[in-house]
Amino acid sequence: MDKQSTDVVIVGAGASGLAFAWRLASLQPEISIKVIERGDFVDQRNAPSLNNDWEIALLRRFHGNPNIRRGDADYPVEDSDTPIKPSFFNAVGGSTIRWGAHFPRFRPSDFSVKSQDGVARDWPISYQDLENYMDINDEKMGVSGLAGDPGNPCRAERPHPPLGLCEGSSKLARAANRLGWHWWPADAAIISTDRPGGGRQACNNCGPCGMGCPRHARASADIAYLEDVLALGVNVETRSVVSHIQISGGKAHSIDIIDKNGIKKNIVCRELILAGNALSTNVLLQSSEGWNNSKLGKGLMLHPTAIVTGIFAEELHSYTGPFATSLVSQEFYETHPERDFVRGFQLQALRSQGPLSTALGGYGKSVSWGRGHAKIFEQSFAKSMSLTVTCEDLPEDINRIEINSEKRDRFDMPIAKMSYRLSENTKKMIGFGVDRASDWLAKAGAHKINVTKLSEQAGFHLMGTASMGEAGDGCVTGDDGRVHGLENVTIIDASVFVTASPVNPTSTLQALALRAADLMHHRLAQC
Amino acid sequence: MSDNLNRCILDQLIPGDENGWPAAGQLDLSESFVLLLERLSDHGLIHLNTVTDNLPTDFCLLSNLEQTQHLTAVEKDYPEAFQMLIKAAYSAYYTDVRVRLILERKTGYEARPPQPLGYDLPVFDETLLDPVRERGPIWRRVP
Repeated sequence: MDKQSTDVVIVGAGASGLAFAWRLASLQPEISIKVIERGDFVDQRNAPSLNNDWEIALLRRFHGNPNIRRGDADYPVEDSDTPIKPSFFNAVGGSTIRWGAHFPRFRPSDFSVKSQDGVARDWPISYQDLENYMDINDEKMGVSGLAGDPGNPCRAERPHPPLGLCEGSSKLARAANRLGWHWWPADAAIISTDRPGGGRQACNNCGPCGMGCPRHARASADIAYLEDVLALGVNVETRSVVSHIQISGGKAHSIDIIDKNGIKKNIVCRELILAGNALSTNVLLQSSEGWNNSKLGKGLMLHPTAIVTGIFAEELHSYTGPFATSLVSQEFYETHPERDFVRGFQLQALRSQGPLSTALGGYGKSVSWGRGHAKIFEQSFAKSMSLTVTCEDLPEDINRIEINSEKRDRFDMPIAKMSYRLSENTKKMIGFGVDRASDWLAKAGAHKINVTKLSEQAGFHLMGTASMGEAGDGCVTGDDGRVHGLENVTIIDASVFVTASPVNPTSTLQALALRAADLMHHRLAQC
Repeated sequence: MSDNLNRCILDQLIPGDENGWPAAGQLDLSESFVLLLERLSDHGLIHLNTVTDNLPTDFCLLSNLEQTQHLTAVEKDYPEAFQMLIKAAYSAYYTDVRVRLILERKTGYEARPPQPLGYDLPVFDETLLDPVRERGPIWRRVP
């Protein structure tokens, strides 16, 4: 087996891995950093949205579910015991390659759920601990939006002005005003104005962000960070799979990898950073001998999501604009004493889709085949707007990630198994949220409303299973992501989240990664 | 499986109508239908065989009503296989340039990919937010 040595190994070149690599390499250029990524580079300049059959790419090559996509870099996930299927992407850039780039921040209250509502646990850090890192990350990613949102604390001006509203989202905005509800233009990791230097052009409202952006308007971790990471001398090794962590004496000494040519290598490292996702991190840690924590894998949180679609009589051209980033309402974000559930949800507007996706159901049921197909299609195409009801999940031990050592993938790695069920709290929240989304769409003028009570392919935010906190409280990691009992292993993916908030996690995730890099820099500087 | 049978199935799945939408079979989409079945799933052709094996050999000679009844029964008994056929049929149809030109004529949705031209949107109108701002902060402060 080939032997190599490096100071820091980062497993995963996604949202957190590349942000961490950039920050640490900037602060400490003298150390050697290697990023191991099982996927490849993605040429977004030639994204499928340039082709007539672009929608077909979403059905397979750019599908979120690895069990459907089955690409060269993918690993299977046993998902028969969860109504919400896993959704992620393996490539340099990670899941940000195929995301909608909605980029909200957690609220301060999300970090102290136990203190306020008596459920779950408080985070060991606060919003204020992350705020500066969120600002740095917003600048790197390129965020459009508008400061002054009454739904959130004061924050710095967004680097780019908000994206425009289409006819459909304008209707929703006016309807929210008539209802007296909060709404605000969505924070988006999509630039609305050209960036100096010519590398990234402003969004031209094409719509399907989830398959890469040929203008590099929509950020992904590779677009935002990779060039700087490489310029700082970080080595990014693609199409290479970490198969084992060699642990003894409370320390990870090295990792075994299988590189793109199938050659096995052993890499000795001073620090090991796990930056994949909750599934891959759990597979690695649970299958490595020499360390264990009974809490690892437990407390998986997702964002259970209902999608409510309103069909309007008139043409809305609602395919115009980034599909997921027009506006949101945080009217029902927090616990309310008159509701029969704790915590809350965000309502996020989704624009309509292209003709094929519309026929296949868009965010709901497909247009029926047979007589009447064309009429139903015409009634819905470009005439709909949808709202997600994105619910805050609470950590429960029963929701978990385990490994099935009896089943192995082609790299002889055990298969990850997701076990998940909706809590009663979530079911009540979804019911209430669907009613509010329906109210909103009806107020906007929708004459027909279709409800998908639980979106199946919505396991894109895999949070928890190695949450932060004190070792004595049964937590897996400290407030810097350091694994308790493993002195040189740090987790910077969303496994470390203590609670889930009802909003997308990437801004918080990357801020945590930048903070973890700063803390590691201080530690390494003292050695 | 035969091209003819595939054409009959496609005609039933997407029969078109009197308002200018052509039936899928009339567009000679059988070949792209089969290619898409292979492209969309490792088991695409197996799914097609599952459906065709459970249709009568004289399927194409039956009345529209009888064909629909047979397909409805197969859909009920073999939902996964049938759903894959739907996916491939719709994919072939709604990415076909002739269909896209009809769509353009009817709705204004241009028969071109989203990029590189994209679409125009007006600049965000901040006055829409006046009522939201007037209400003041709604976020929950923590000690």
